[in-house]
Amino acid sequence: MTITDVVKILDGKLIAGDASSPRVVGAVVANDLMSDVLLNDADDILLLTSLASDQSIRTAHIVGAMGVVIHNAKPLSETMIKVANDLAIPLVSSPLSKYDACVRLHDAFVAEERA
Amino acid sequence: MEYNPVILQGQHTSDDEILARTPLDAKALGGDSSEIIMELLQRFKVRDVMKRQVISIPRKATLRDAQRLMRDNRISGLPVSENGRLYGIVSVNDIINGLDGCWMDEACESHMAKNLVVLEAGMPLAFALRYFNNYTYGRFPVLDSDRKLVGIVSQRDVMRALLYELSVEIRKLERKTSPKGDQVRQEAKENFFRKEWAVVHNDLSRAGHAANAIKGILRERKIDRTIVRRVAVAAYELEINICIHSHGGVIVLLISDDKITITAKDRGPGIPDIEWACRDGTSTANDWIRSMGFGAGMGLSNSKRVADEFTIQSEVGKFTKVVCVYNIPHAQQAAEGGAQA
Repeated sequence: MTITDVVKILDGKLIAGDASSPRVVGAVVANDLMSDVLLNDADDILLLTSLASDQSIRTAHIVGAMGVVIHNAKPLSETMIKVANDLAIPLVSSPLSKYDACVRLHDAFVAEERA
Repeated sequence: MEYNPVILQGQHTSDDEILARTPLDAKALGGDSSEIIMELLQRFKVRDVMKRQVISIPRKATLRDAQRLMRDNRISGLPVSENGRLYGIVSVNDIINGLDGCWMDEACESHMAKNLVVLEAGMPLAFALRYFNNYTYGRFPVLDSDRKLVGIVSQRDVMRALLYELSVEIRKLERKTSPKGDQVRQEAKENFFRKEWAVVHNDLSRAGHAANAIKGILRERKIDRTIVRRVAVAAYELEINICIHSHGGVIVLLISDDKITITAKDRGPGIPDIEWACRDGTSTANDWIRSMGFGAGMGLSNSKRVADEFTIQSEVGKFTKVVCVYNIPHAQQAAEGGAQA
């Protein structure tokens, strides 16, 4: 599941970063507490968060995340988009709630495994 | 007629109040300003570098008197002052205009600059540097809290004091880091790398830039990706801690042959109970910090978890210093890092 797939699954928009990134989702972390995200040891994390700030992007960069999804279509600041572009972190805005986004991603993973 | 000097900052202001109103601005100070310079700019006050013996002239003295005084003392600006009260400044320009307009025998008070920008003796040196940046004046009169003229400070005075203090600090640092001396040679031998970043109190928009940069540096040096991640996590947590809990500080990255060290040092309230502060979930953060995704009390415990060695020192009301050390196995160091850390 690449970032382009994530955009489709979550009815989202890619706001920053490279749509053609070949990286695939290794794990999904849905969390608004960045210290919790930093505790996670998984690789290629897709970070789902309602924290629409530079810090979610910086945290994603620290843990080597493959992308960040801001759910509930929260407004994104220009600086956040700039930081995402600077750090080459794909940033997606989705209108879904965190729960719905998680369910859709889970379903997509299950379908991917079956295929 | 008497003229009041314009004082841009309030009277009777304590150093702490001035600092509180002007938190260290890393960008204004050059972003990657060294730890030593940052400390000096805050620790030293205008009174520490100003010239205390101010040559001045009374209001009724003529411009010709002023010209002679300036020539004899080789100065380009002369405060007009009586009994410690500052009324204006006569500059070389005023003298040139006086010669040109043939009013050299008129009183200084008629031709001096009256709207003055002054510094307060208790202001940190960082303030003086900003004034020199913001205004074109070569010198500023310095007043004490009773508005009495107590000195004059030029860019040269600031630079001379800074250079002197820097050399003192560097000698101290060398002695501290290398008890046997000859530190430079040792560093070169060990392929030593050191870089530091200033962290500004409450500036969450920039917090994290040091950790992001550290990650980039370690990846460029092809350090093992798991180590890079562990270092970056500690650097980030400690950077956020400085940002939200202290009055400002620095993050220092040190890479030697077999170790990576992250040092986070701040000026600030310190930690009264270190053991308590290092426990998961203990925090003194407020709601604003929590709304930014931090303040859950995991910063120190997270940093400790990812480091091979973790030490913390703190003195209440003064500072907190955290050091995280990571061992780089030689096999790993030589290995190529992963494409994505």
